[in-house]
Amino acid sequence: MLSGKDVILLEENYAIEMLNITKRFPGIVANDNITIQLRKGEIHALLGENGAGKSTLMSVLFGLYQPEEGIIKKDGKVVSIKDPNDANALGIGMVHQHFKLVECFSVLDNIILGVEPSKYGFLQKKEAREKVLKLSEQYGLHVDPDALIQDITVGMQQRTEILKMLYRENEILIFDEPTAVLTPQEIDELMQIMRNLAAEGKSILFISHKLNEIMAVADRCSVLRKGKYIGTVNIADTTKQELSRMMVGRNVEFVVHKEPAKPGKTILEVDKMVVASKVHKNNAVKGVSFNVRAGEIVCIAGIDGNGQTELVYGITGLEPVVSGKIRLNGKDITHASIRKRSVDGMSHIPEDRHKHGLVLDYTLEDNMVLQRYFEKDFCAGSILMRKKNIRSYAEKLIEQYDVRSGQGAVTSARSMSGGNQQKAIVAREIDRDPDLLVAVQPTRGLDVGAIEYIHKQIVATRDEGKGVLLVSLELDEVMALSDRILVMYEGEIVGEFDPKKVDIETLGLYMAGAKREG
Amino acid sequence: MKEKKSFFKLPVVQALLVSLFCILLGLIIGFIVLLIIKPAGAWEAITTILKNFWNYTRTNLQLKNLGNTLVKTAPLLMCSLSVLFAYKAGLFNIGAAGQYVVGAGACLYCALAWHLPWYVCLLAALAAGALLGVISGALKAYCNVNEVISCIMLNWISLYLINMLLTNVKETTSPYTFKLSTAGEQSFLPNLGMGDALFGKNQYTGLALIIAILAAVLIWFILGKTKLGYELKATGYNRSAARYCGMKEKKNLIMTMAISGALAGTGAALLYLTGFTEWMTTQSSVPAMGFNGIAAAFLGGLNPIGAIFSSFFIQHITDGGSFMTKIGFPSQISDLISSLIIYLCGFVMFIKLTFNGFLDRHSKSTGTNVNAEPAPVQEPAPDAQTAVADNKEGGNEE
Amino acid sequence: MSLLLQYTLIFSSVLLLVALGGCFSEHSGIINIGLEGIMVIGALGGALVMKYLPDGTCGAAVLGLVVIGSVLFGMLYSLLLGVAAIRFKADQTLVGTAMNLLGTAAATVIVKAMNTAENASNVSSEISYIAARKKFLLVDGMEFNWFMILAVVILAVSYIVLYKTRFGLRLRSCGEHPQASDSVGINVYKMRYAGVLISGALGGLGGVVYITAGVSLWKFENGVAGFGFLALAVMIFGAWKPGRIALAAILFGFFRALSNVYTGLFGSLADGAAEITWLRNTFNFLGNVPGTIYNMLPYIISLIVLAFTSKSSAAPKAEGIPYDKGMR
Repeated sequence: MLSGKDVILLEENYAIEMLNITKRFPGIVANDNITIQLRKGEIHALLGENGAGKSTLMSVLFGLYQPEEGIIKKDGKVVSIKDPNDANALGIGMVHQHFKLVECFSVLDNIILGVEPSKYGFLQKKEAREKVLKLSEQYGLHVDPDALIQDITVGMQQRTEILKMLYRENEILIFDEPTAVLTPQEIDELMQIMRNLAAEGKSILFISHKLNEIMAVADRCSVLRKGKYIGTVNIADTTKQELSRMMVGRNVEFVVHKEPAKPGKTILEVDKMVVASKVHKNNAVKGVSFNVRAGEIVCIAGIDGNGQTELVYGITGLEPVVSGKIRLNGKDITHASIRKRSVDGMSHIPEDRHKHGLVLDYTLEDNMVLQRYFEKDFCAGSILMRKKNIRSYAEKLIEQYDVRSGQGAVTSARSMSGGNQQKAIVAREIDRDPDLLVAVQPTRGLDVGAIEYIHKQIVATRDEGKGVLLVSLELDEVMALSDRILVMYEGEIVGEFDPKKVDIETLGLYMAGAKREG
Repeated sequence: MKEKKSFFKLPVVQALLVSLFCILLGLIIGFIVLLIIKPAGAWEAITTILKNFWNYTRTNLQLKNLGNTLVKTAPLLMCSLSVLFAYKAGLFNIGAAGQYVVGAGACLYCALAWHLPWYVCLLAALAAGALLGVISGALKAYCNVNEVISCIMLNWISLYLINMLLTNVKETTSPYTFKLSTAGEQSFLPNLGMGDALFGKNQYTGLALIIAILAAVLIWFILGKTKLGYELKATGYNRSAARYCGMKEKKNLIMTMAISGALAGTGAALLYLTGFTEWMTTQSSVPAMGFNGIAAAFLGGLNPIGAIFSSFFIQHITDGGSFMTKIGFPSQISDLISSLIIYLCGFVMFIKLTFNGFLDRHSKSTGTNVNAEPAPVQEPAPDAQTAVADNKEGGNEE
Repeated sequence: MSLLLQYTLIFSSVLLLVALGGCFSEHSGIINIGLEGIMVIGALGGALVMKYLPDGTCGAAVLGLVVIGSVLFGMLYSLLLGVAAIRFKADQTLVGTAMNLLGTAAATVIVKAMNTAENASNVSSEISYIAARKKFLLVDGMEFNWFMILAVVILAVSYIVLYKTRFGLRLRSCGEHPQASDSVGINVYKMRYAGVLISGALGGLGGVVYITAGVSLWKFENGVAGFGFLALAVMIFGAWKPGRIALAAILFGFFRALSNVYTGLFGSLADGAAEITWLRNTFNFLGNVPGTIYNMLPYIISLIVLAFTSKSSAAPKAEGIPYDKGMR
């Protein structure tokens, strides 16, 4: 993957250099003496876990934060970047992880926003449109400039973001976790676009924690860990294992130790379930049937947006099902209330911990009893809350599951770190001793330590003879945890696999809809 | 791991200090306005406002006027409880004003047209207020209508509706409704001899005040100690999470607005059933009582017990303003001060932060908790994000 | 009938101006509940200009100065919202409510103080402007005034500013997705101040148009009788778009006019006495049932429209959420 430009001659020819950057926040050093040097025309990956300081570093480069120490050089000259305008003037552009696009504006309006061609304050869109059309032609970015952002796909929205940078004639392009929202085809296209851009002389910083993508597209890679600079390596001279060791600080086992599953009786039966979509008029889940037995982990694999969310909503009762049957322990729960399902033995670690999982303005202890506050132990005569019992129960869970927070049980959930918020949810859901645990992306956005911990808990739950339904977008996680894999594509289950007998490439083909069973 | 909190870091102390600060600032600005109008009498004027009933020299008159202030404190307290209850459960009930209006209409109509006993009139007011609350709540739960907007619309609809309704029970020659003493004696709230015994023969003071204070205690209890409070607050803070954990989140939302509306509606009955005043059927503005309830709620630090004191204070200076005309100042100066205080309440968060920053700088000794993990710096603002996300979700529905 | 037309046009102009003001503020991301208060203060500004201008001042000068007075007062007053909501991230509903109460209270205190200073026995909160007001009329004896033309011009300008200029594009982006605006170097705070100030200017202007509508004196204790809130309803019914706001303003203005006409008020408006009668009648619709119904209608309609459209609301997405540069 090494590009021809990567030769010693150009060693000194850096497009941008961030030298000895230190940025502190109250109570934390987000960037501790970090040095990154981006060569002209290279794709330079920035690798690190969540919370390693990647975003802070990029915010410094973009003028959103001012570093306490360190300097930034552009083409060898020291520059000062006080706000995004300065960054822009220096030709630095960024595709943010969460797109910065105005939904009800057209593509063209979004591209020109901030650098609008105008005469006496009146917009002059004609030339802008021509320029955008020319650019999209040149780089193979096909987007209709008059379409509204809210009407186009995520991939097209990302292209709009790229066009935004190109329109501004930026030379240094930052991509912040650009693949998280894309389908594999779109990822391939993006990789090609990035290569095209580099070939045209643009310098690219590619922020990611996905090793495969870095290996596929980058020329060099700098690694951050816990706010510190670990090192920079040539991709050609390194391996995935080495990169992951640099990222985490120790050898990471991609395998979770677990005994073979001993499946027992059937816990959950889903029979031809159909769930409507909230986004489009078609059904999101189209007649899906499967079951989960006691003592096994069944994994739903698939690319985001193929109906997994709605599948879980249907099973947990967050959305009504259109047709089909759901049985829990043999009992029909198709139309049961959420509370009923929960009391009957279903636990749910939700996809979005801020939206569903926690009441952020409640204390940790109040969140710990969110699923059982109405039980006799916590509520006398279904009127009075028993605060003492709630406190001691919460403290038990905090202790047992190692949930860390500033003031223990009375900490506001909002002030906790993401990892500990997730641990609290996992503790709450597992401790209810459920027959079925539905876990949706339980490790999203967490660091390796927390991921390992949560994986262990899930396996332990299985070993206690519970059924586990795991929905994950990360194939590594799917391979490591599951006893059975179901691949979902466009609202249907297109294949069932034994993780020991299938490889990631095959799964990928099914996930992309290129292959299906029967 | 527990460390001793500094006295000034106790939430109650902070809330109190911030409220006192708002009051002080409001008074200072009011004083400056008075100085501009007439420098000579300004000091006398501001002390007159603050003295209110103490402006009378005779104890008997002092007590009687204290009684008058208390008569109006009761409905104000109910309105502030209404605002506070909804706010604690995540809703801004700017509709307390309208719920107060329908409460007034319901109880007066029951009293004057149908001559029903006081407790029926009281319940009618409660029901009317609750019903209006339910409308806002249901619009939010089922149609995603922002409660602030629906409440504003309902405030005006209520005003015109009640003006229309009460025209049937008014004097032909004046815009005011019949006096309770002539047309609805059976509907007087019992004064329990309180007025005679304590407030210099003020026949208006009585049960109303007791009901209002009991309501404050009840609300404090519901919010802090009960399952209902736990559920309503959870729903208000995060509807999706409430749904996720099996609460009936739509029902809870409507329930919050119903209770909130009932409080404001009852508040109106607590005033009009004393016979202290009559309804003017030509009112062209929504009565300020509901809006002052917002002031009292925030000034009381959003605490039901605090609201008792803040309601009294606001009514106290409002009544104090009525002495102004006698000494050559406009009586609205006290409205000006109380609206300034509401305005300043908007800065409570900022004042608290500044205050805490000040405390931290001046007490380096209080070490930070070593076990505390810092909140994630890079995570985007969760509330803003969810708010936008919720919005989107709403937008996607067909 | 001509009376109905006259008053429809007057009220529509008021609603149009104020609702457009609200529209600018909301497109920048700030909910302006305080329009009612802004109208009162703007009205005060205009009334003071009319009161203190010498009688002989030429018509155009009177018009211009009254507009400037009300716009300035409105803008200054709207800064209360701007500073609180933008700089201090205060709750916009709370601040707006406070501004409504404060507007009437402050205007009353100021006018009363001035009246008492002139004549110790005058404790009223009235300002009269018989002579000045006549200069606004297009046709003598008919209630068609220059403000209506101004309102139409401002409608056109608002549309162009919002949709055809760089400023408008940036303003709207701040109400929809301030993080996006910030990332392309737009100063969100500045744009939001601009939105609030424009709403102050138009709200203030609306205030003075309202108090000069058919009457020659104004009692500031009365405030503006809910016109600020009615304008909010117009803005919502108009789906935050100038063209539709204009239609909504005409419809709701018509309802208000109907309610006034139904109070049994007819006759010449030429002399001051009749105007006062008209004023009294307008705000004392003693027992007049249909008038009240027409007053209620706009709010009921808005509520129904909201109930059916809020799931896919046209409201700016980021409105009401304080923007914090640190949080992204």
